[in-house]
Formats: sequence, structure tokens, C-alpha cells
Amino acid sequence: MSEWARSHRWEVVLGGVLVITIVANAILSPYYLGLDNIVNLFWLSIEKIIVAVIMAFVIINGEIDLSVASVMGFSAAVLATLHESTGLPFVAAILIALAAGALAGLIQGLVVVKLQLPSLVVTLAGLIGFRGAARVLLEDRSVGEFPEWFDRLGQRALLGPFPLAVIVFGVALAIAWFVLDRTAFGRKVYVIGSSAEVSRYSGVDVDGVKIRLFVMSGLTAGFAGVLFAARLGSVRGSLAEFFELDIITMVLLGGVSIFGGSGTMLGVALAIFTVLNIRNGLGLANVDGIIQTGTVGLLLIGSVLVPNLASHIRSRLPFGGPPLSTADT
Amino acid sequence: MSSIPALSALRRLRPDRLKELSLVALIALAVIIFGLVVDGYYSGRFFNRVTTSAVIVVILAAAQALVVISRNVDLSVGSTVGVAAYLTADFLQNNSGAHPLIAVLIAVAVGAALGSINGLLVAYGGVPAIIVTLGTLALFRTLVSLYSDGANVTADSLPDWVIELNGSTIVSAGGFDLRTTFAVAIVVILGLQWLLARMRWGRRLYAIGSNPDAAAQAGIPARRLTMWSFVGSGALAGLAGFMFMVRVGTVSATAGSGLELQSVAAAVVGGVSILGGTGTVLGAFLGAILIDTLRLSLVRVPQVSEFWRDAVLGVLVLISVITDSVLTRRLSRRAGSAGVGNRMEASTQAVEPTASTAPSPITTPVGLATREESIDV
Amino acid sequence: MNPGPEPVLELRLVSKRFGATQALADVELILYRSEVHALVGENGAGKSTLIKIATGIYEPDTGTMELGGHVFDPGDPASAQRQGVAAIYQEPSIFPDLSVAENIFIGHQDRGLLVDRKRMEQDAAEVLQRLDIDLDPSQPAGALTVAGQQAVEIAKAISLDVKVLIMDEPTAALSAHEVDRLFRQVRRLKQLGVAVLFISHRLDEVFEIADRVSVFRDGRHISSRPITDVTEELMVREMVGRDPSEFFIRTPQEPGQVVLSVEDLARHGVFRDVSFDVRAGEVLGFAGLVGAGRTDVALALFGVAPADGGTITIDGQPVTIGSPTDALNHGIAYLSEDRRKLGLSMTQSVTTNITLATLDRYTLSFGLIDHEAENRDAAGLRDRLGIRTASLDTPVDNLSGGNQQKAMLAKWLNAEPRVLILDEPTRGIDVGAKAEVHRFIDELARSGMAIIMISSDLPEVLAMSDRIAIMREGSLQGIRTRDDADQESVMAMAVGVA
Repeated sequence: MSEWARSHRWEVVLGGVLVITIVANAILSPYYLGLDNIVNLFWLSIEKIIVAVIMAFVIINGEIDLSVASVMGFSAAVLATLHESTGLPFVAAILIALAAGALAGLIQGLVVVKLQLPSLVVTLAGLIGFRGAARVLLEDRSVGEFPEWFDRLGQRALLGPFPLAVIVFGVALAIAWFVLDRTAFGRKVYVIGSSAEVSRYSGVDVDGVKIRLFVMSGLTAGFAGVLFAARLGSVRGSLAEFFELDIITMVLLGGVSIFGGSGTMLGVALAIFTVLNIRNGLGLANVDGIIQTGTVGLLLIGSVLVPNLASHIRSRLPFGGPPLSTADT
Repeated sequence: MSSIPALSALRRLRPDRLKELSLVALIALAVIIFGLVVDGYYSGRFFNRVTTSAVIVVILAAAQALVVISRNVDLSVGSTVGVAAYLTADFLQNNSGAHPLIAVLIAVAVGAALGSINGLLVAYGGVPAIIVTLGTLALFRTLVSLYSDGANVTADSLPDWVIELNGSTIVSAGGFDLRTTFAVAIVVILGLQWLLARMRWGRRLYAIGSNPDAAAQAGIPARRLTMWSFVGSGALAGLAGFMFMVRVGTVSATAGSGLELQSVAAAVVGGVSILGGTGTVLGAFLGAILIDTLRLSLVRVPQVSEFWRDAVLGVLVLISVITDSVLTRRLSRRAGSAGVGNRMEASTQAVEPTASTAPSPITTPVGLATREESIDV
Repeated sequence: MNPGPEPVLELRLVSKRFGATQALADVELILYRSEVHALVGENGAGKSTLIKIATGIYEPDTGTMELGGHVFDPGDPASAQRQGVAAIYQEPSIFPDLSVAENIFIGHQDRGLLVDRKRMEQDAAEVLQRLDIDLDPSQPAGALTVAGQQAVEIAKAISLDVKVLIMDEPTAALSAHEVDRLFRQVRRLKQLGVAVLFISHRLDEVFEIADRVSVFRDGRHISSRPITDVTEELMVREMVGRDPSEFFIRTPQEPGQVVLSVEDLARHGVFRDVSFDVRAGEVLGFAGLVGAGRTDVALALFGVAPADGGTITIDGQPVTIGSPTDALNHGIAYLSEDRRKLGLSMTQSVTTNITLATLDRYTLSFGLIDHEAENRDAAGLRDRLGIRTASLDTPVDNLSGGNQQKAMLAKWLNAEPRVLILDEPTRGIDVGAKAEVHRFIDELARSGMAIIMISSDLPEVLAMSDRIAIMREGSLQGIRTRDDADQESVMAMAVGVA
């Protein structure tokens, strides 16, 4: 157990912060532990946190995808356009919208892998370009009047008190944990993130894994965009604009290294719950949303700064320096 | 055959100069093409619109260039614009008699102060720039919201000179105005370009971004310089905040949101490599101008809806990154292969020519001095 | 001693130890003004450690250094440079995006706040001219050849007014023509009063350029003599002078069928006309200097940098190998010489590393990893190879060098290859671990594996191999059986004096 705690130090800290947040919230607000509030807690940021789950894979793999929010908007716009101007069955339109998201991911993945360009820049172009594509499709219109079943799926509880999207998030989290922690694919995601060259020299299909991740990222973003459309009941070209930084913040707060190779789904889940609870608690206490954002920003910086300072202080102590590697004379 | 001397003259140019020239050519080409398609395109009004609308992003692109050159990034510039714009506007609303220069100084000082927070955390705290500035992006925005308490500073509560400054013109010829704000931006850009090219610390910023290990070996004080590059980027964002106030008039707590990625895009289109070491402030300026010219020109083309502009911009960013990397790779290939004669290359070089020149995508943009310092002995 | 030469840098009784390895033991080296002093020795002789001590990267454990008669204790490379000692390496450390002139002057502390580009370029041109280097000072350094970049570093050292310039294998990546040009520059340096410490594996170059030569072996100073007093044979004998009997003795056995056969293998500009075969149960050693193309042949067989000419045959069937996956499917595994960059994923656990190349074997339905089987196999290999680790979940970074090496070997043994290529399998590990690795190589050969062993440790190659292939400058010089080979003849073929 203590071995586990030592190798999961950040998860332990986050768990502590989460417990404190929950206890404080429960004391401060009588509504906090109500079922409605708990559902609501997830509900208000549900699309972001679904995408955060896949973003964790991408960052652990040593890449980044800034385009997710734009791809959300793009897929939703594809759906709305098909619905508005073709007689296609709505289910088919949904499938095409999802395919559009996956295609967006595929294109970016191919550019990153084949041209060896930094994903930061490629997906920045994607961020601008796919948002642009959504605007091209919808201009300044708001397209709605979706089939009733679609709106209902997006807005009402489906199973017990839980709406579809919350269930999707739960399932996605479970699958993501399983894949990352238990499967060969997850193993490859880590090893490539920690050293792509070692992986290549061990016969791992580095490019294939990277492309698959970008496709999954695009597909998930597309799916989240469609869910968002259902929740809102209508789509604009600006749907989900600026979500990307929030999503990345949650992943990094979860202890995922921006340099790749480390981080756990548990950490990301705890970070998501912590962020949601801080926002929710502060919201119940009538604290402005922007302060919630600031608190999360502070946590993000602190999460890297504090361990850095700690190890700096430790290295100042005698015998605390980094171990000498063997001589290579 | 007559083109040969011209070609070799081009080849003798430094790559940064070449990039700047190609941007000028692209802007000229865009203007010519749009001039053919759009009636009355060559009007003073259009020129004035581009120059006024570009001012803020132009200054932010320069700010971004300053940090990206040394392998960092500043995602907090948009929030810094917001803080500086709001505090300055608030000051003017309460001290309407203050001299305009005082207002500029306040904006710049506020920006520099915020930048120094970023700089401290990156250079001395060992936190990657992308994480620090992602955090302060949120944090600075929170500060201004708290301070404003939801209240806007409206244009009519500001001194008259603020509104007048927005339309004020230094020289005007045939409808083409050189707006004061744009003139200031140009002076700032040229000044910064000069500083980066001529000051020793400027060249050292390039050195740090170009090869951090070699910079450490040469005894370049990487931490201090990184710190100051963030202070500079903050100060410029503060100036952009002042411009924001002048241009928009009414300042809310959300002023400047979303400018961070626009500034990165402008710098990247302007040839500032996200991997550090190359690019100029002038290039970033031209990148911003090119983007704004395209944006505003596309609106004028009858066949194209204004909604195309972002899609076109995305493609433009991608194309400029791809051409840059192809050019860079060609350069390094020349360096790598020319050594092979009847002797063989050292085995490490022969394995993977790109391995050393193409650093991993995430590590490098956010790579920072402290990571490089953990050289194992 | 008068009017004898004037000593510049004096190292006396310098020692340095890393863990179990004594990298330098009571070494003495004296460099004089206006001389080219060659330092020769095998890999592991202590040359790199000596350079790092002289340039302030390492602090010596014991011993004294004097520069121009004063105590010299640089602390870091920048201050070593300021005090007058600089080093240039096989791979130049330049700023690719800055101009030649800027690269020359970037480290100067005394050039004021403003950069006068024109003056700087004039000054650079002057320095370059003094050295007879024909380069445009305004050109970006990234566009230069390796030779050009080295020239820039030499110019930088001159502009810093260094008294001692250390050149670590500067010719390894140069063409013959470029070497001539480099030597002209070195002679210029000499005229300017600089002491040049020239480190090279190529004895012909040493004889061409050096005034004096020192031989190091196993961290000890063996001799220093004027070049005119030395013969190649003497130098080679002093370099290798170790007794092969300290090595493990191979179990004699008759090799089996030919497993891997290579004919006229080539990769443009890297190596050419390489033909050999390896039998089951045989160890084929590859000797040669660093950069002779041995690793490149291995990388071609492993599909990392595929060959562009010739044929590879396995069990009589011609095969195409375009990627490491292909190679593994054909039963070829490659243990890299660069453990940290290419061999092990340092932050990952021992088990993860051991099963990395064989992950498919542990994959159940839904892609689930069979942890139990994985840990069982990893534990088996840990016991078989004697990998000492706190647990199988420990990141390999926490293991000692020798145990890391064994973990890397375990990864490839787990792939059960027919042909195992070992690239410097005992580099940088201590004597005990080395002996264990040798025992495994013998055991693997006995079990019928075909083994290719690349090693720059000549006694090791001689002790462990059934046959020895010698490479030099990208081509195979010949293959000797163990009985026909001795240290002197192999070294002579590798350096090209035979």
C-alpha cells in the first residue's frame, strides 16, 4: 500500500484535496450532497470532461491536441447542416458527424506523423481551421429543431437521475482506465510517450499508435460535440469555443506530464472531480465563476511548482543529489 | 539566365530575412489578387481598417515572438491585455486629468509585473512555460474580474482623448491614414527588432532557443534572460491592453479573451519557429498583417462569405508551418550529408538524420532552462 | 630543462572514480606551448573523463591541475574557456540558427551591450583568415557541413584566446579532404602558440599531426613520448596490452547450420559490400573503430535504417527487412549500444521493459495484458540473468548500469531470437557484471543462438568470438578465425596500417 502511495504521490494529494473540497462544500451548503446537485455537478461541464479523458491519452503519448473544441463545433455543425438541408435520416447524420470528427483527427495525425511536425502547431492550425469550417457551414445561424428523441436524450435523465452524457462519461472513464492501465495499447501509449525511439527500436508501431490516438481524439470530440448539440437543442458555429484550454488544464492537473510518459487515469479522474467540486462548491456559495477558474489555474501551477521546490530543497541537503550515472569514458 | 545573379543574391540572405521578404511578397500578392476581384479595393478606407484592426495582434505577436524565440510560449497574453486595459481604464475614469503617457506607463507596468510572475515561475520555479501561462491565463482573468466586480468601464466615462486617439492620424494622403496607434505599433516593432538583432541579450535569446546545451556551455545566463523575456512579453501585452482600451472604448473584465492563440498563430505564420531559435519580430508583425489582410479582404469578396476567413486562416497556418519545416530540414540535410566522402559518417549520425534536429513535439516548445540543466554527469 | 619547452597545462596524479569504476587512476599529462599532443587509447581508457576534468565538467577526486603555472580549477566549461581551456567534439555544439560570426563571439563576456554586426563579422573574418578558414561569417552555422561547424568552433576558441584546445575525435565524421583542411588549421593553431590535445583512434592521423603522443589504458597513463620515438606496433601494443586470460573462456562446440547470411549488403554513403554468415551456436565478433560502420550494419539487419543494396538470407530464404517489426518476425533482435536513448525506457518498470518487444505474446482478448504471465516471464529472466532490483515494478532508471544492461538483454532474450546482435554489450558496466554478461553470451551460443557481437573492447572480442569480422571506414576488411587473430593484427586491420 505504501509502495503504491509512493508511486502515486500526486493521486494521493489530489484525493486529499478532493476530500477536503467535498467536506467543506457539504458543511457550507445544505444542497451540496443532494442528488440533483451531484448530477448537476457533472452535467454543466460534461462535454469538456468527456474530451479530457481522451486528451489524457494524447498528452501521455507525448503529443497535444489543441483542436478538440473546434472539432466539437465542426462535428455539431456537420450534424446541423445535414439536418437542415438534406432529408437524410437523423441517425445517419449523426454517424456522418462522428465520421467528420474522426477524419479531422486523422488528417492532423497524419500531418504530425508523416511530416514530423510538432502537434502543438499542427493542432493550432486545426483549432483555427475546423472552427472556420464550422462557421462556413453555419455562418451566423443557429440551427435547431432536432428530432424530439434527440433533444430528450440530451436534456433528460435516461437511467435513474442520470442523463445520457453523464452515463457516457462514466463508461468512457471506465474504458479509458481499462485501456490505459490494463491493455497492450495503453502500455504502448506510455512507452512511446516516455521514449519514442526506444519503442521504435523495440518493434513498437509508434506512428500507428499516434495516428490512432489522433483519430480517437477527433472522434471523441465529435461525439462530445453531438452531445452538446443535444443538450443545447441547437447549434451555432461558436459551439464549445475556447474549451480546449480548460480541457488541457484538467489533464495536466491530474498529474499527466506535459512531456509525456507519465500520468494515470485515476489522477485525471480525481482532477476532474476536484475541478468540478471546486466550481460547484464555489458556485453554491455564490462565488463568481471566474474565481472558480482562477482557483483551478492556481492549482495547476502549484501542482508542478510545489514538487519542484520540494526536490530542489531536498537536493540542497547533503547526500541528496542526483545519483551519478556510470562512467562512459 | 539573367535570373541567376538575383537568385544567388537571395541565397546569400539570412533565412530570417528571406522569410520576411516572402511574407511581404505574400501580402503584396494577396493585395493584388483581391484588387482584381474586389471593386474599389484599393481604397484608403480598407488600408485604414486593416491597420487599426491589426494593432493589438501585431503587438501581441511581437510579445509572443520574444518568448517563443527562446523555446517558451506565453498563453497568458490575452488575460494580461484584459488586466492592463481594465486597470488603465479604471484609473482614467477616476483621474480624467492624467496625462496620456501616464496611462501608457500604467498599462505597460501592469503588464510587466504580470510578466515577471510568469518569468519567475518558468525560469526559477522550473515549471514548463505552457503550464505556467495556462495557469496565469486563468489567474490574471480572475484578478481583473475580482477587481471589476462585474462593472464595465464605459467609453463615456473615459477622457475624450482616449476616443480621439483611436481616430487620430499622424499623416494622411489620399484617404490613406497613418493612425497614431499603428504608428506606435510600428515604432515598437522596429525598436524591438533592432534590440533583438543588435543587443547582446537579444542574440543570446536566440542562442538559448537554438541550442540550450551549447548556451549553457558558453556561459549564457539562461534563467535571467528567460525571466526578462517574459517581463518583456508582459510589458508588450500591457501596451496592447492600452491599445485595446483606445480601440474598443468600453472595457469589460473579459477584454482580450482569445488573443493568446491568435498571437501564437501570427508569430508562427510570421516564421517564428515554435521550436525556438529562429524568427524575427518583424516576421511576426508581417504574419499578423498578412492574417488581418486576408481576413478583412475575404469579407470583401462577394462570392466568399465572411465565414470563410477562419477556415482559410487555418490552412494558411498549416502551409506556413509545413514550408518552414521542409526548408529547415533541407538546410540540416545539407549539413548532415556534405561530410560524407570516402569516409563514413559517425554511426550515430547515420542512423536517423532527423533524430537530433526534430525534437519531440511537446518537450521542445515548452522546454526550459531548468530541464536542460539536469545534465547527467 | 632550459631552454626547454614551456608547459601550459599540467595534470598531476589526477584520479576519478564512478561507483565501482576507476575511470582515471593517478594520471599525469603535461601539454607544452605550440605542440600537438596526441592522446590514444581504447574505449574505456579514460580519455573522455580526462577531457571532462580539464574542461570543468567533472571535478577530479584527487590530483592537481595547473594552467600557466597557476592552480586551475574551472568549475564549469564556460569558466574553463575564459581561463583558456576549450574543447571541441566529434559532433560540434553550435547554434544552428545563428550566423558563423555570432557563433564565434556569443560566449564573449567583454563585447558590450550592443552587437555591431558589421564589426563582429569583420572580426570573425579576421579570425577565420588567421586560421585559413574559408567561410562566410554572415552565413547561418546550421547550413555548414560538420567540418565547417568544427572550423567555427576552432575559430571560437582562437577568438577566446585559448591556451589549450582539446579536440576529441574531430576527424570521425570528416572526409579525407576535410581532414587535410582540419590539419592545416591545427598547424596554424600550433604556430599561434596553442597547445592542442588531439584525440583520435586513427593512428595514421596521429603520426601525421602529432609532436608527442601519450597512451592511456584502463584509466592509467602508460607512456608519453615524442612521436619520433614511437612505432605503430609499439603504440598498438601499449593500447591493448591486456591479458585476454582475464576473460571468460568459451565452451568449445561445433557450430551448426548457417542461420543468417548477408551478401554485398550496402547502404549508400554509410557502408558497402558487407558479406558474411553466422551459424547457429556461433559468436561472430565485429571489431573496428568507432564509426567504422559496424553499428550501421546492425541497424540495417534490424530494419531501423534498412540497407539499400545486397541480400539478407535467413535459413536459406531471402528476406526483406524494412522495419524492426520485420526483423523481429524473422527472429533478429538488436541490443543497442545506447542504453539510455535507444535501449530502455528509463522511467518504466523492469517488467514493462522486459516485455516491450514481445507485448503481443501477453495480450489476451480485448487487448488485455496478462500481467501474471508477464510477471512470471520477467521474474524468470530476472532470476536467470541475476538482475538485482528492489522489485519488478521498479523503474529501470533506479537500477545500476550493469543491471540495466541485463534488463535490456532480458528484453531480447524474451523475444527468443534466432540471431541476436549485441552492440557493445559490456560498455560502461563493472567487471563483475561484465563477466556475467560474458557467461550468458556463451550460454546462449550453446543453446544454438547465432550471435553477432560488436565490441570496441578488443580483448573481449578475441575472447568471446569464434570468428572476428573487422570493419574499417564502412567496409569489411576481412574475417579471421579466433586462432588466426591476435590483438595486434586485428587492431592493425582496424586502423588501416596493415
